[in-house]
Amino acid sequence: MGWWANLRQRCQTCSRVMLGAGLMLGTLAIAFVFMTAGAYGLAWTNTEQFCIGCHEMRDNVYAEFKGTIHDKNRSGVRAICSSCHVPHEPVALIIRKMQASWEVWGHVTGKIDTKEKFEKHRYEMAVKEWTRMKKNGSQECRNCHHFEAMEPEKQTEKARARHAKAQAGGTPCIDCHFGIAHKEPDGPGPQELKIAN
Amino acid sequence: MKGFTILLAAALALPAGAQAQDSAAAEALLKKSGCMKCHSVSAKKEGPSFKETAAKYKGKPDAVAALSKHLTSNPKIKVDGKEELHDALKTKNEAEIKNVVAYILSR
Repeated sequence: MGWWANLRQRCQTCSRVMLGAGLMLGTLAIAFVFMTAGAYGLAWTNTEQFCIGCHEMRDNVYAEFKGTIHDKNRSGVRAICSSCHVPHEPVALIIRKMQASWEVWGHVTGKIDTKEKFEKHRYEMAVKEWTRMKKNGSQECRNCHHFEAMEPEKQTEKARARHAKAQAGGTPCIDCHFGIAHKEPDGPGPQELKIAN
Repeated sequence: MKGFTILLAAALALPAGAQAQDSAAAEALLKKSGCMKCHSVSAKKEGPSFKETAAKYKGKPDAVAALSKHLTSNPKIKVDGKEELHDALKTKNEAEIKNVVAYILSR
């Protein structure tokens, strides 16, 4: 406990309690600053501006997203990149953000920095995202689209039948609703993916 | 835009059964007609993919006529063992229909 004795010696007029309280407050203040900065940083990486900071996203998937129902619609409620591609739950969010560090590596090494390279990797990137959305039951879709809140009478007869079947069978949304915001890649779709649980 | 309009007009003016097509216009009409809700270009959905359809009609002389009829006459189809009516393309324009048919058959 050398550091404590040292501190006591430097501040002989302070009581033991005062010193302890001061140290605790200092630690709390530093923790608060770090947590706020961390939360701010995480929130910043969820913004549209951050996502299109790289031309790989801006010129490909973002350009395709522009004008779709999730970008522009009669009520003006939007789903941006992170609404669908980043989990909203704290633990899942941190895990996804850590995985995304590899995507930064991909950017630095220029893995998809041309249209041709992007197209070459489009299918494998789609499969990764479809797999994630199948495994979590398309949670990001269901953060906004709730089966319980749907009015079947307002859906077409076909949609009503498909949704009833999906709800009963626990089918993830992505099985049918893929390629809605981005170009559909060439190859087997989510229904054909074999996902090991 | 003007160039695109000319290109579109040229593509639509092609004779029946022609392979040349305006993919963007075909995709837009397919989307507008709700086709992509049950079909996909290459993936499995409730309905067969366009690639499957193209393979099914490959080499058949009546392919264009048969597919055109299928896409315009609300035929009865079976989904999950239940009978329902297939939706029609949301257009009456012959050239636009032929463009979509050529697009699907060339997948």
